[in-house]
Amino acid sequence: MPFLASLENSGFGTWVRESSSLWAYPTILFMHTVGLGFLVGLNVAIDLRILGFADKLPLAPFEKFYRIMWAAFWINTLSGTALLIADATTKLTNRVFYIKMGCILFAVISMVLIRRRVFGDAAVDRDRAPLAAPARALAVTSLVLWAGAITAGRLMAYFGPVSGAPGLQNRLP
Amino acid sequence: MIQAFSTWLHSTRLSWAVAGGVPWIWPLCETLHFMGLALLVGIVGVFDLRILGMAKGLPVGPIQRLMPWAILGFAINLVTGSLFFAGDPFQYIHNIAFAFKLLFIALAGVNVIVFYVTGLYRHVDGIGPGHDAPLAAKIVAAASLFLWVGVMYWGRMLPFIGNSF
Repeated sequence: MPFLASLENSGFGTWVRESSSLWAYPTILFMHTVGLGFLVGLNVAIDLRILGFADKLPLAPFEKFYRIMWAAFWINTLSGTALLIADATTKLTNRVFYIKMGCILFAVISMVLIRRRVFGDAAVDRDRAPLAAPARALAVTSLVLWAGAITAGRLMAYFGPVSGAPGLQNRLP
Repeated sequence: MIQAFSTWLHSTRLSWAVAGGVPWIWPLCETLHFMGLALLVGIVGVFDLRILGMAKGLPVGPIQRLMPWAILGFAINLVTGSLFFAGDPFQYIHNIAFAFKLLFIALAGVNVIVFYVTGLYRHVDGIGPGHDAPLAAKIVAAASLFLWVGVMYWGRMLPFIGNSF
């Protein structure tokens, strides 16, 4: 596909992929990892609290972490786009990539739903009662989808066309 | 000694299996390593950010109840990380990024020990909703965030600053 090839061979794509500067591929990949840690990690913390762990903690103040979760989401959207441009012909033709995007789409939808339905409920911390089944279902969905996104993201390096940093070898036959 | 240990380790069947003898072990461990990372960073992040003044509505003491999940994340990463090392010890022992990664993990450990032995732990435990943590605790929390982000940095730099993979 000429469009994907032109993306990959653009000045920017080539720089990300082939520059020997630490600011190119290595730093972008590092940003993607930090974003993962905070986006998924804070989601998991909220999910665990919804499921009843550390139930001495009020849930409402956790909403403050959404700022960081959204910042991490945008860091990963930007860094992910850069990594995608650098390897457009391989990543955009890899089925596993679309599984990853599907998981992230639905994980972010559940993150928004948790904010609206669970945090938006004025009675959220009343009596410290366990949260209702729909809230718990959203938390479980969120955990499963983030685990799926991480798994698919990692396995992109092993299934389909080989991509990644120069010299990175596919370990599976 | 490290050389001899690595030579022995590399000759084991475990090493062979991890390094590709059993092809799914390496990708599985990598996936688990990222899940462990998220668990550790997320839970420790909630605690550190609360100490630093974010989400002040949270009482500090009960956040400790989430710590077993952070410890689980660390344990997952200790096991999977050790398996990576066993799979190919020689690409790590001469790798400067790996040395820095271990140093940062050790410093994060020292940071936790300082938090407990100085009694800051007990002091912080009673901080209720809306109250500020003392400056010393904020310094420890900021150091924790810096060090764990640093661990991620050196881990990511293994193939780039060092020569792994």
